[in-house]
Amino acid sequence: MALTLERNVLKFYQGLEQGIIYGRKCTECGAVEFPPHYACNECGYHETEWVELSGKGVLKSVILPVSLNADNKLAAIGDYCFGIVQLEEGCEFNSTIFGVNAENADAIRAKLPVPVHAKFVPMDGYTTLLFEVDKDAL
Amino acid sequence: MVHGKLGKLSRSVSIIGVGATPFMNINEDPDLLGLTEGDCFGYAALKAMEDAGLEPRDVEYFYHGSANPKMFNDAVTPAMQVAEWFGMRGRGSVHHSEACATGYVALEQAVMAVASGAHDIVLSGGVEMATGLPDGKKPACFRRPMTTEDIWPDLDAIIDRAYTRYLGGGAIGQDDWIDVYRKEYGLTAEQVDDVLNMMSYQGRRAAALNPLALEREPFEDIAKRFGFDDPMDYLRSPFNPHTTQYLRVTGNAPSADGAACFIVCPTEMAKQFNKTPIEVLGVSASCLESARPHLERDATAEAAKQIYELTGIKPEDIDLLLVNDFILSSQLLAAEEVGYLPRGEGWKYVMEGRTAFDGDRPINTNGGRTSYGHAFGASGAADVYEAVIQMRGEAGAHQVKKLPKTAMLRGFGGGQNVRIAVLRTVDE
Repeated sequence: MALTLERNVLKFYQGLEQGIIYGRKCTECGAVEFPPHYACNECGYHETEWVELSGKGVLKSVILPVSLNADNKLAAIGDYCFGIVQLEEGCEFNSTIFGVNAENADAIRAKLPVPVHAKFVPMDGYTTLLFEVDKDAL
Repeated sequence: MVHGKLGKLSRSVSIIGVGATPFMNINEDPDLLGLTEGDCFGYAALKAMEDAGLEPRDVEYFYHGSANPKMFNDAVTPAMQVAEWFGMRGRGSVHHSEACATGYVALEQAVMAVASGAHDIVLSGGVEMATGLPDGKKPACFRRPMTTEDIWPDLDAIIDRAYTRYLGGGAIGQDDWIDVYRKEYGLTAEQVDDVLNMMSYQGRRAAALNPLALEREPFEDIAKRFGFDDPMDYLRSPFNPHTTQYLRVTGNAPSADGAACFIVCPTEMAKQFNKTPIEVLGVSASCLESARPHLERDATAEAAKQIYELTGIKPEDIDLLLVNDFILSSQLLAAEEVGYLPRGEGWKYVMEGRTAFDGDRPINTNGGRTSYGHAFGASGAADVYEAVIQMRGEAGAHQVKKLPKTAMLRGFGGGQNVRIAVLRTVDE
């Protein structure tokens, strides 16, 4: 077992600063663990290795924010929704996606899954990874 | 996800006593203002002992649950700090925190402690003083009301702080599952709204009859105040605005102060105590972090699979279902996922009143979180309390029509833990 004590989280956010998305891939079942953790949560095997991800994927659901879950910081960047994103490497997760609003939400829902790409968003002291609907998706 | 399996308990365990405070907002009543976590947990613990016919000296060990004792009570060792309130100085104890799932974990842990043989008589329960905060560095009775500015930054604490809360993955939870359901069964947004409003309405009908519930004013009366003859018209009106894409104000759980406790012992010993023993056939668990797609659905499905495999019971054996519904839609969705209501048809059961406390498939007979109130770490234990009094036929005005023999409880919370417990009345 080649486990080493690593700064997984730091490496991930440092990657985002440079526009690189790190994940880890199970050396047994091949599933991509995203965001990166030591072990594989698909099959429960102990070992994964670093991989770079494309940031390309699809949006699989659209939930619009209302008062309880709205975020002013995100709204200042642009229209957004919550949804499930699946990357082309297979991993899927809940995320926040720009380019969706009350006007186009139904049109997007009718076309799901809709292509999205990574959007690197500078925040207060770190860069985060959110997504954006591809321009030619609609 | 990695799937699991439950083994059989080493010995059968039963609930022999339950106790609870009402779920309150102590800020709204001068006679309640000043109640502390020790007052509440101690009361619930002693009521559970009284119910069983025990004295504190008879209880060997206790579990103390609270969702967030550091924030709400400025305490990180709350079990130590409340033990003397109910005569257990010197006894062993442990504190645990699993946010809104705490009260269900309380049952799981107490059952394991007895099933293992380590102890015979164990008390467990939860407490939360969730409507206020310590007023600076003063004794526990001095509190100030909590504001949204206090609670919102802290809610993040149930979501993974390495990734999820910073990657925008934690905000979908209220609406995800009902959105899936709506698409799967072709319901319109208006139909979903009606189903949720009917759950609010029926929950309040039960709560109005339940002296322990926080929100007891019938929607008929509230509707009249706002100029509506039909409570459903009020519930779908702008006076009850949406807080998320699907939920309205009445679909969210109001915070409460309160505590609930129960006492377990080996079933073979249980018959010597006061009340009909309620056996805990098992408690299953599955936990999925907030970034996982459809986490509530998938963790509920996993826990249901485990508990059905362990107990051999069938969904049709279940007479009463308690579901943590601080997200109101969970009531319907979990009921279908565990097979208590037929898939895709459950919403019709709701609309026909069949899931009300006086219906033939009762769910959340205490009023549910949105009417009973939500004292985070205590709420699951209050569900255990409710199931037990229903199974004994002691629920009074909100007693279900057919005495339940088997009850299922689905706990959920803390970003997110799922527990499913099955209780069964021990035959005379």
